[in-house]
Amino acid sequence: MRMTRDLLTRLEGEVELKVFWSDGRIKDAYVVVPTYRGFENILKGRPILDALVITPRVCGICGHAHLRATVEAIEDAYRRAGRRVGITRKAEILRDVTTSLEIVQNHIRWFYLYFMPELVKLKPELKERFGPFTGSRWKEGIEASNYATKAIALIAGQWPHNSYMVPGGVTCDPMEADIRKVEALVNRVISFFEEKVVGMDWRSYLKLRGSNLLSKVIGDLGTFAEVCLENGLDIAGRSYGRFLTGGSIHPCISSGVKSKRTCEFNLSKVSELDTHSFLSRNGKGYSWSKTARYRGLPFETGPLARQIISKNPRITSLYRKFKDSVLVRVWARVDEILILSLAILEKLRRVDLSEESWVDPGVDPKKFSGKGVGVVEAARGTLIHKVRVERGRIAYYDIITPTVWNLGPRDDRYLGVVEKAMIGLTSRKIAHIVLRSFDVCSVCTSH
Amino acid sequence: MEKLNLLWIQGLTCGGNTQSLLCAEETLLNTFLKKVNLLVHPGLSLDEDLEKTVEAVLKGDVRLDILAVEGAVRERGKGLYTVLDMRFDEVLRKLCGVANYVIAVGNCAAYGNIPALKEGSVKGLQFRFTERGGFLGDGFRSKSGLPVINLTGCPVHPEWFISTVLQIASGRPPKLDSLGRPKEFYTYFTHDGCLRNQYYEWRVEAEVLGRKEGCLFYRFGCRGPMTRSSCNRILWNGVSSKTRSGQPCFGCTEFDFPRENIWETKYNMGIPAELPPGVSLRGYIMMSGVAKTFTPDRLRRRLLDEDD
Ligand code: SF4
Repeated sequence: MRMTRDLLTRLEGEVELKVFWSDGRIKDAYVVVPTYRGFENILKGRPILDALVITPRVCGICGHAHLRATVEAIEDAYRRAGRRVGITRKAEILRDVTTSLEIVQNHIRWFYLYFMPELVKLKPELKERFGPFTGSRWKEGIEASNYATKAIALIAGQWPHNSYMVPGGVTCDPMEADIRKVEALVNRVISFFEEKVVGMDWRSYLKLRGSNLLSKVIGDLGTFAEVCLENGLDIAGRSYGRFLTGGSIHPCISSGVKSKRTCEFNLSKVSELDTHSFLSRNGKGYSWSKTARYRGLPFETGPLARQIISKNPRITSLYRKFKDSVLVRVWARVDEILILSLAILEKLRRVDLSEESWVDPGVDPKKFSGKGVGVVEAARGTLIHKVRVERGRIAYYDIITPTVWNLGPRDDRYLGVVEKAMIGLTSRKIAHIVLRSFDVCSVCTSH
Repeated sequence: MEKLNLLWIQGLTCGGNTQSLLCAEETLLNTFLKKVNLLVHPGLSLDEDLEKTVEAVLKGDVRLDILAVEGAVRERGKGLYTVLDMRFDEVLRKLCGVANYVIAVGNCAAYGNIPALKEGSVKGLQFRFTERGGFLGDGFRSKSGLPVINLTGCPVHPEWFISTVLQIASGRPPKLDSLGRPKEFYTYFTHDGCLRNQYYEWRVEAEVLGRKEGCLFYRFGCRGPMTRSSCNRILWNGVSSKTRSGQPCFGCTEFDFPRENIWETKYNMGIPAELPPGVSLRGYIMMSGVAKTFTPDRLRRRLLDEDD
């Protein structure tokens, strides 16, 4: 059998794709994460609050989600130990706003810097618009993503890598003027979405369903859809069709698990294996990533999973026809740019800055023992942090990133989610696009 | 003038310095892209460009003016990717050998940082935390004669990076401090320009988090007065900084980052265990006494509640 091996960059980190071909089709595929840093081990033994500064550094593009997962894990531990952790409405809103902004930022950068340049390989005339460094949208995409990063900084001090969420609330104390500026920036994201991404006003876009989305949406998303239909990307990319969302962001993301039916997400059904990870040292390992399973089965997480579980009418109507193909997976991600932005504006209208930002949870972190879990939605899907603290120090820390669900290696029975999506593809270019449609972040995957 | 060729390569990193670079103010980023020929950036270029470019540079077909390294290096080990069938550390060593300037972008590349905390074989380019040497050795000099230019910070501020590159492009390479950092960006302290300076001077400590008022040095471990950075001079994302949003400075531009017990100030017999550089114990005690006695009343109230 012929084997090919490609190093993929232009994503967060790098991955190797090892593929076995037979009769011009992919017979088997291995997604290899070649790099690791060992965060769980690094955290062990450290004072618990140090995690607030260390875990964001797992990832340069979704570090804020890691911060939130850490905060929620610690708060959960405090609560389980019988402490009342009171978070004001204001702190809750600000946390939600910056977490959502990070997702918005990610989706814009991903679409314009990581994903669309790949389509230029299928359609060279797109280079002027989407080529790296020189393409017009490449630059505009960066600019638009920075409306979101600047908005985060107005609340959280800086992006990337702040630690403004702490057990009990947030450290910042913004003024009305800051909030108005954040609103203005989010409005610019929405204008960008209207003008460049879908080529229509957002209200009209929200009303579209099914084939109307394909025929009416112009802009860059329209161009993307065109290339999909021309190249079979409305079919390629299908995996197990099982979806998982552990966290929620009101009102656009609700948690749940969908295989045949949609049920509630139950944390106790999540398991982690390392049978095919280098970590197990059993000789079968081929990646530094672990494997995540729900009820023992592989599940896809991320925007597609979220929008199907949350019954987004645009995405479900596309899904009915095109399933979990590249077309729908990418569309779901791009759709979130708008719906999260609208939700942010709605939340900012309700924020009352006279409330406290922080309520002391009244725990002496030096003496604290207990354990807790934080489950949040990051740009790429469900992110889980688990912590056990003994007399103020971290005795155990476990991180399951979204990309462990999607890019993690196989187990003895099932291929990984991305690996499954590779089977049967007939070209290397398409295989790369399918892999990229999951929004690859190898630094999170192995962490 | 001919454009400078810059090659960016990534070791053990979260990619945060790349994301930070993309946050640069538009004018700066555009100037950077105009003045510099970005040969390859693994986070931004097409996949195939990485190996092609590295090969051309190593063969001597393409001149390498600036090598920008993001991330720490793991020596001789597994756990990093390969380029042209060479281990990452081998490729990196070769590239450093032909580059005119080598820039360590961010604390991982400079000092090893988080990935190095528990692994002795993980290093920064010329340091491993406080230890000199690192991956390249203390004596390393790039072809220009300069040691590695350390642009520290976790992440580095995009303006510090772009300005340094533009200085090199205009033929005026930066003057470095004893830790290899351009003096211009690492002469000030984070403390300089912090909006809480008055509270610091009058010894008004922040007793809680989440407020504009009070200095974070006395309780919450702010490293602002002993951390060299321009964070409060050249604001983050053009608008703010950690201390402006109520976080203590964590000292992420220094080689001992991340320290233990980040959120708290250590005291010895009522005096902060570590005083800002140049401040004597006696001086501190005397100043404190005076400051506490004469603290202006308005500094004890909430800012927006002030009536005058
Ligand atoms: S908060 Fe930190 S940086 Fe600001 S004045 Fe106090 S010590 Fe200085």
